[in-house]
Amino acid sequence: MPVNIIVLFKQIIDIDLLKADPSTGSPLVQNLPLRLETLSKNAIEEAVRIKEKKGGKVYGLCFGTEKASSALKEAYAMGVDEGLIITGYERNDPTRTAKVLAEKIKTIPHDIVMMGNQSAESYTGLLAGKIAKILGEPLLSNAIKVDVEEGKARVVMATESENLTAEAATPLVISVTQEINEPRLPPVMQILQAGKKPINMEATSISGSSEVQVISNLAPKSERKKLVFEDPEKGIPEVSKAIREAIK
Amino acid sequence: MVFSDVDDLGIQINSFLSGTMETDSVTSGKDPYRVAKYCAGNIYALKGRQFPESIAASILELQKKNDYDYIFIGSTAIGRDVAALLSEDLGFEVASEITGFRTEGGRIITRRFFYGGKTVLEESSTAKILTVMPGISEPKSSAKEGTVTEIESPASRITLIGAEDKTSGAVDLEKAGIIVSIGRGIGKQENIEKVNPLVEAVRGELAGSRPICLDYHWLSEDRQVGLSGKKVRPRVYIALGISGQIQHIAGMRGSKTVVAINKDKAAPIFEEADYGIVGDLFQIVPKLVEAIKSGQ
Ligand SMILES: Cc1cc2nc3c(=O)[nH]c(=O)nc-3n(C[C@H](O)[C@H](O)[C@H](O)COP(=O)(O)OP(=O)(O)OC[C@H]3O[C@@H](n4cnc5c(N)ncnc54)[C@H](O)[C@@H]3O)c2cc1C
Repeated sequence: MPVNIIVLFKQIIDIDLLKADPSTGSPLVQNLPLRLETLSKNAIEEAVRIKEKKGGKVYGLCFGTEKASSALKEAYAMGVDEGLIITGYERNDPTRTAKVLAEKIKTIPHDIVMMGNQSAESYTGLLAGKIAKILGEPLLSNAIKVDVEEGKARVVMATESENLTAEAATPLVISVTQEINEPRLPPVMQILQAGKKPINMEATSISGSSEVQVISNLAPKSERKKLVFEDPEKGIPEVSKAIREAIK
Repeated sequence: MVFSDVDDLGIQINSFLSGTMETDSVTSGKDPYRVAKYCAGNIYALKGRQFPESIAASILELQKKNDYDYIFIGSTAIGRDVAALLSEDLGFEVASEITGFRTEGGRIITRRFFYGGKTVLEESSTAKILTVMPGISEPKSSAKEGTVTEIESPASRITLIGAEDKTSGAVDLEKAGIIVSIGRGIGKQENIEKVNPLVEAVRGELAGSRPICLDYHWLSEDRQVGLSGKKVRPRVYIALGISGQIQHIAGMRGSKTVVAINKDKAAPIFEEADYGIVGDLFQIVPKLVEAIKSGQ
């Protein structure tokens, strides 16, 4: 029984390279390289693994900008069969993003919609629930394991205190955690082939309505003493003293 | 209204709001009667183990009946899904992962981390649903105890097959006064016993970075510190062999004094430390234990 999966992915700036202006604390986001978002890779990996086991097709869908073509190529290289970039992304606005993606998903027949449970830069974690609600499909979230059987999926869902095994009928929405798998590094041949696949783009006509105003977005100031000893013989007595004072 | 599936977080949110707002609570946690000690209003206890869909349906009923001004939801795996489902049901915007807020002329000003914890984002919005990060407040018991009412769970499209408890039960890092935290620099699981003398000497709790807790399972998951783990605020946080990636820092920034031991002089943890020693943790830790014990 082949399984058709729509996998949602996102492109972000490389936050590991992000630095703040030392005098103002403003993040310097210009000219930073873009990359495929961390949890998106886990979602793609899981979707491709299911396809490899069960057959079917993986359709990659990204709400982003024209620049997301590199992310789509990487998704192709990992094993995504067909893909689309919806352009018109402006900023972190989960309500709009959910609407844009869900409207498109409605037009594509699928058994599973798969995505990361949170994204590495915003960590908002609302998209899966919002999309499930708009589609009217059950939500199996925060999966650390997914098994697909005829007409249903079973996941192990990680909450703060428990691992819950749960089942629901397809079509459904699954969000995955970072622990679910180790995303593959595609071999060169696959990367070359991916480069030949079409980069489909389509602009959205859905606009945002949320009127959030950003007051500030600055790196928090570190008020630490930063007394770093390169000679342990000098450092140990200082550290010991500080610790002893604190545990008194 | 306050909802959390983790009792401690529901208690923290109620304590944070006490004096500024009157609250009812919805809980799917372990002990609604404990929550009642911190929330003077109605405590609606959802029966059985529930998934986000059925929890959101129960909250929706209560919202329609009581027309709460704000819905505060503990930011947990389940909580974030509940917030998302409710926001679409009610047409309310969500301010997510907040670490603090104030109201100002009908708007709400919220603070949260952004860019994986590298910045603090302050926003003004008309959000009526807020997901709240752990550690927002110390628990403060309420003068009057709340009234607990049990609520039956609505029918669900999701079937529960099994549940496995993964808490070790013994640790409460958020309350720990001293934390010794280990990272990948520990090398292998057997090496953990080499830092135990330090944990004992400072009468601390052992914690770890995400790879140690989640990827290798050398420590239980409830000992993970960071953006996706516990937010701790001990008097002393001792980081051993932890590089200090921003996602880790986001969990220990509230510590009073930070000590770091790392063999890499350029490790970012030293930017977030009060005291740092550059060197091999296996050489330094025994000497440090000796110094602490002998009062040097
Ligand atoms: C969405 C997301 C959420 C995340 N959430 C968290 C989180 O909640 N918590 C968390 O911790 N991480 C989190 N991470 C992961 C984080 O980015 C880092 O990968 C992780 O914190 C690194 O762990 P580490 O410092 O133990 O390992 P490493 O980065 O590998 O650092 C090991 C350090 O040990 C030092 N070392 C090695 N040997 C020795 C020795 N003998 N003596 C002294 N020093 C030594 C090295 O110099 C190095 O600095 C998250 C990542 C993402 C993308």
